[in-house]
Amino acid sequence: MPLYFSEKEIVLPGQLLSDNGRRSGEGTYVLDGKVYAAVIGLATIKNEKVCVIPLKGVYNPQVGDKVIGIIAEVKPNGYEVSLGKHLFATVKIPDKREVQAMNFKIGDVIYGVVKESGLRGVFLETGDKLKKITSGLLIMIHPSKIPRLIGRRGSMINMLKKETGCELIIGKNGYIVIRGDNPLGEFAALSAIKLIEREAHSQGLTERVGKLIKKIMQGAVS
Amino acid sequence: MKSNEVKLIREDGRRLDGRAFDELRPLKIEVGVLEKCDGSAYVELGKTKVYAAVFGPREVHPKHLALADRAILNCRYHMASFSVDERKPLGMTRREIELSKVIREALESVVFLEEFPRTCIDVYIEVIQADGGTRTAGITAGSLALAEAGIPMIDLVAGVAVGKINGHLVLDISDIEDKYGEADMPVAMAPRLNSIVLLQLNGRLTGEEFKNALELAKKGIMEIYQQQREALRRKYSGISAEEV
Repeated sequence: MPLYFSEKEIVLPGQLLSDNGRRSGEGTYVLDGKVYAAVIGLATIKNEKVCVIPLKGVYNPQVGDKVIGIIAEVKPNGYEVSLGKHLFATVKIPDKREVQAMNFKIGDVIYGVVKESGLRGVFLETGDKLKKITSGLLIMIHPSKIPRLIGRRGSMINMLKKETGCELIIGKNGYIVIRGDNPLGEFAALSAIKLIEREAHSQGLTERVGKLIKKIMQGAVS
Repeated sequence: MKSNEVKLIREDGRRLDGRAFDELRPLKIEVGVLEKCDGSAYVELGKTKVYAAVFGPREVHPKHLALADRAILNCRYHMASFSVDERKPLGMTRREIELSKVIREALESVVFLEEFPRTCIDVYIEVIQADGGTRTAGITAGSLALAEAGIPMIDLVAGVAVGKINGHLVLDISDIEDKYGEADMPVAMAPRLNSIVLLQLNGRLTGEEFKNALELAKKGIMEIYQQQREALRRKYSGISAEEV
């Protein structure tokens, strides 16, 4: 069956991708048995389905995603957690005493895992999988740039960690916590992440990030 | 009739600005021009200059307006005070409120609103300079801004105004042609769906003329649609595939 795109080609909304309506995946829609792109992105095939990897747009929570959120509301049976922008997740805890024992306050930053995501809303796992982040620098970047920040098999993120000496906690929703021993390292990591966000998808990014970090770590603050 | 006294066609059979009957004004489209929004676009059609900005999907305010099964699309078409010859007072006039509504309905027909329940998507269309065809330029810019914001949509929407001057059907009418011509018909279409999402008509056309005018509009829209796609492609052309 014919496909109308080459792998990782940039497609626009309304562009014909395939004649087989059953192969419609994420970021596409079916009209008269044909698959069209719904968003701007890179067309690809995932599990036999035609998908479009979005270049922009809001974060869409998937089950199992690790996210960073900010406690927005404390309820008798759990918490409301802001995942940035319009997204809110719920932490449901059946036991009331447990809620008190956790003692999260509004504004606390937590690291959690998405348990359920659907029409009823987003729910986070409870228990060991829900942790409070007590220190560090909280920043937000565009969620679609997160895969680039991690790099292929973690190449980018490992380099960042090694070069700056910082610990980085990344939430799929775009929040990042930088925790380092010295301010210089934290600043270097922050600058590097901002550079990645700005210039994601450009070639030779890894080298440029490496150069930037080295420059800052040597004391030349740009 | 007074309107016929004004000559809108030159001796050499061209229009006042030297265009042929079926010719668009010089078109310039740019995407991602504004910084603090999620998506933006700029469309320049001759002297008509329009910016569009998209925010969202974001929380609805006030909260009771939110719909449980889909997003709401807000649209604001506004002309800057300095966009017309005589200063337009600040705020929304009746005309602007009405145009906001028709533009919203045109854009609603292509956006997958049901993907973002309980949210709203705001489209702000700002006319910087007006010289006829601002609503259609607004739709062209608005749909590009929506696409650039990463909002799933069926297709881009493009629009153009056709009119009748001194008995001739013309494409992409300017302000003078609108004021002294016999008819003005803004049309917006989603070319992929081959459906008309906006159609208004001021003045009079016969049935035959209407059909021809629609064909003319379609031709102009396809031209604009191609340029829209090119502008979007240009914006993302620097992206290489290996990185994702």
